[in-house]
Amino acid sequence: MVDQLPNRGLELEMLHEMGFSSIDDLFSDLPEHVRMNEPLPLPPPQSEEEIIADARRLLGANRAMGDVVSFIGAGIYRNYVPSSVFQLVTRGEFLTSYTPYQPEVSQGMLQAMWEFQTLISELVGLPIANLSLYDGSTAAAEALTCVVRVHNRKATQKDTVYISELVPPDRMSVMYNYCQGAGITLKILKHNSDGTLDLASVKDAEGSCGVYVEQPNPLGILDGGLTQIKEIIGENTALIVGIQPVSLGLVEAPGNYGADIVVGEGQPLGSPPTGGGPIYGIFACSNPYLRLMPGRIVGKSIDVDGKEAYCLTLSTREQHIRRHRATSNICTNETLIALMGAMHMSLLGPEGLEHLAIRNMAACTIAKQKLSEIAGISLPHVASSHFNEFVVELPKSAADCLNYLDSVGIIGGFDLSRWYPNHSNWLLVSVTDQTKAAEIELLAAHIAVWSTLKEAVI
Amino acid sequence: MSRLFDFAGGTGMGYSQPEPLLPKTSIALPPSLSRKELPRWPRLSEPEMVRHYTWLSRRNFGIDTGFYPLGSCTMKHNPRVNEVIAQLPGIADIHPHQPEHHLQGLLSIFHEMQHMLAICSGMDAVTLQPVAGAQGEFTAVRCVQEYFRNRGETQRTKVIVPDSAHGTNPASAAMAGYDIVEIPSLENGRIDLDALRAVIDDTVALMMITNPNTLGLFETDVPEAAEIVHAAGGQMYYDGANFNAILGRTSPGLMGFDAVHFNLHKTFSQPHGGGGPGSGPIGVKSHLADFLPSPIVKKRPIASGEEQFAVDDMWYSWYVPQHTIGKVQQWHGNAGAVVRCWAYYRRYGYGLKDMSEHAVLNANYLRHALHREAALAGVSHMFVDGADAEVAKHEFTLSLQPAKEAVGVSAMDVAKGLLDMGYMAPTVYFPLVVPECMMFEPTETESRDTLDKFAKDFVKVLQIDAETLHAAPITTPVRRVDEVYAARNLCLKHPFDEE
Repeated sequence: MVDQLPNRGLELEMLHEMGFSSIDDLFSDLPEHVRMNEPLPLPPPQSEEEIIADARRLLGANRAMGDVVSFIGAGIYRNYVPSSVFQLVTRGEFLTSYTPYQPEVSQGMLQAMWEFQTLISELVGLPIANLSLYDGSTAAAEALTCVVRVHNRKATQKDTVYISELVPPDRMSVMYNYCQGAGITLKILKHNSDGTLDLASVKDAEGSCGVYVEQPNPLGILDGGLTQIKEIIGENTALIVGIQPVSLGLVEAPGNYGADIVVGEGQPLGSPPTGGGPIYGIFACSNPYLRLMPGRIVGKSIDVDGKEAYCLTLSTREQHIRRHRATSNICTNETLIALMGAMHMSLLGPEGLEHLAIRNMAACTIAKQKLSEIAGISLPHVASSHFNEFVVELPKSAADCLNYLDSVGIIGGFDLSRWYPNHSNWLLVSVTDQTKAAEIELLAAHIAVWSTLKEAVI
Repeated sequence: MSRLFDFAGGTGMGYSQPEPLLPKTSIALPPSLSRKELPRWPRLSEPEMVRHYTWLSRRNFGIDTGFYPLGSCTMKHNPRVNEVIAQLPGIADIHPHQPEHHLQGLLSIFHEMQHMLAICSGMDAVTLQPVAGAQGEFTAVRCVQEYFRNRGETQRTKVIVPDSAHGTNPASAAMAGYDIVEIPSLENGRIDLDALRAVIDDTVALMMITNPNTLGLFETDVPEAAEIVHAAGGQMYYDGANFNAILGRTSPGLMGFDAVHFNLHKTFSQPHGGGGPGSGPIGVKSHLADFLPSPIVKKRPIASGEEQFAVDDMWYSWYVPQHTIGKVQQWHGNAGAVVRCWAYYRRYGYGLKDMSEHAVLNANYLRHALHREAALAGVSHMFVDGADAEVAKHEFTLSLQPAKEAVGVSAMDVAKGLLDMGYMAPTVYFPLVVPECMMFEPTETESRDTLDKFAKDFVKVLQIDAETLHAAPITTPVRRVDEVYAARNLCLKHPFDEE
């Protein structure tokens, strides 16, 4: 029997008090022809014990990354979230609250989100951050529509933004879906054979509303050339940079090399991978974008006694006020996951972030070295610096390699032909702070064995 | 006060990490990308950090703190087993790009949720991709848009939205590029069929509507509205914000809708987390199914060699429809929220009908109790029903206009007075069609005792003199917050010393 209904058994008493005789009376306003007269064809209710047993059985059938050796990344990364984050974020006062429409009893979450805005602002080098969008892809997509709203009037290439050709198709698809309604054209920025952005092609973006690039880029490359973009495109074209937040413990904040908007997948800071959601999207910007940006923002204010207090602000951009003229349709966002991010950032501190970034890059450096030593295997972008991941060019298909590695308990990486069909032999190998030196050795040894196999694995 | 950036000069490190595999000096970075100054983040030890966030939590009100009758938000109890399940490594520690045979358990849960949502809504196909209600709306609007483009009906450039609709409806349709045609509602927020007939033609793609409506009333004219829209070749969209009222009693399919979104965080109890995460799957009739975004899961009996990975002797696969609109979130939606909501659904099974019945029972009972207590205390003249109807569904509205006129007490004053009594306030000033509106949604997880006590306390608030109530709240961590000051003196981050 369902155990979540405190008034079970009191139905008739309550109904009688209201002058009704049955529950049916409460649904008497439903026209006959729309009534569902049969019971729902669903299984019976379960007890908590039965549910958790089934959850363990079903989810236990999944291969958790921690149970195998994993080199898969490509946008979502294995990380470590300190225990206190989980313990604190499940406090009922945070967990079971909603959007702080009544600020007097929501100061905790409001202040935490104001602090989150500050942490993100400091991280990316821009003065303004909102309190999260759904994920990195929607943050990027919202940034594109935002820069068109801001720059279209002066643009010579109206309703046009330029996007790195390396952006993964699923992320590009989100951008298209968000942009097509506003009549925005997405044009492509080319890359050099070493994986860096073709700065000559950036010239084409002059006069458009914005340029979207990623640092590190989807091949894991840290591209110094991105620091020159703003000079090329000028004041009236926005530079949007997508980031991996942990990298910013070593890599210059994009706000310091001309980025007008910074977006990214917040996940590595505070959130387990969770199959890709819920995670949180970072969105930060400079002042000209403030009043046309998407998402909720907390401001510091005072109460009637002049006491420090926090509340949502600039709400007139939002759907519940502006309706179809809103800057975004977003209402529910990812506040609780952003809170996990804030907690993780608080625990790290500046030096902890740098240390975490060093761990990521150190593992990446070793993995590049080890894999490049395998005969018949090359690293097409070996001269570049990488964060988290790099491309390995194999003698045979990446799909076959992944099948082999899977058979020995290794998730070997990401088959890049899923993004770039011309590169069936490209494997994107991801390492993080969680990668052990012995795991890298194991990967290299097995790839070496696989590369000598004559037959396909499947 | 505990302020995070008061720790900016601290020396603490909240947790120690293993040493890197190589020292910093062995790491090559392009000189132009070398970070010159680290972020000015605070330095807290773990005990300081734990105390800071615990302090903050105590200044926040959740369902666990007390009654949370926030209309339109379905603030029901969040069973804790769902949180335990969501932290199992089989969901927390999985990667969206892992191959299917690594994720059979997750895919089976997705499949079960698709099946359940299709049954409850009377739809033919479901995608779990959208991560919030508003994104579900947008996704469905995009599917309808592509459906019409595919049919060559590109003249359909309009979406009809009643003026009582949630703001997300027009915002989502506008994001997809539609012109919004707002039609006025009748009294009680009901749909005006004549107003609909006046604007309907073959330039209309879609009508968006929620039922029960935002006043908590079942819209008996919706089936006829659907006939009118369908006769003009348009589509009907059901905003599932109020789905908690009708499970097992009726369905959007029976009412004539073509597409629907579900707010899993409302109906199926994903904790609202101060503003998210949510999950906003959509269901559609078969003619729209080919336009849905993935993730969609299909199943078949297992083949030989698959036993070692399979659950329940079935094989589950991702499926991408032929004319898919593509993605609206890069990954598989909010998988963690879907798993929590699956656990919630399992708690009810076919008893989901009981859930809705109790939600409606509680709403009607609370409305009754408020009137009862007001009569006993002699303050019946202070408010009227926002809508004139014998029964409400899962929520209802009151208008405090009489109190405003009689004694100068506004809905906001009463809301702030309720905060002092230890409650979250109902939604105020929505929907706009009710003057001085308060919208109550008790949900099915509140006991009769709680409802009775709240009704008594509500009436006590109405008996407080206007001057005192204008000054409320007085017992909360801060008193009335100056939102105008916040907007005029924008302070969106810690200023640090030098700025």
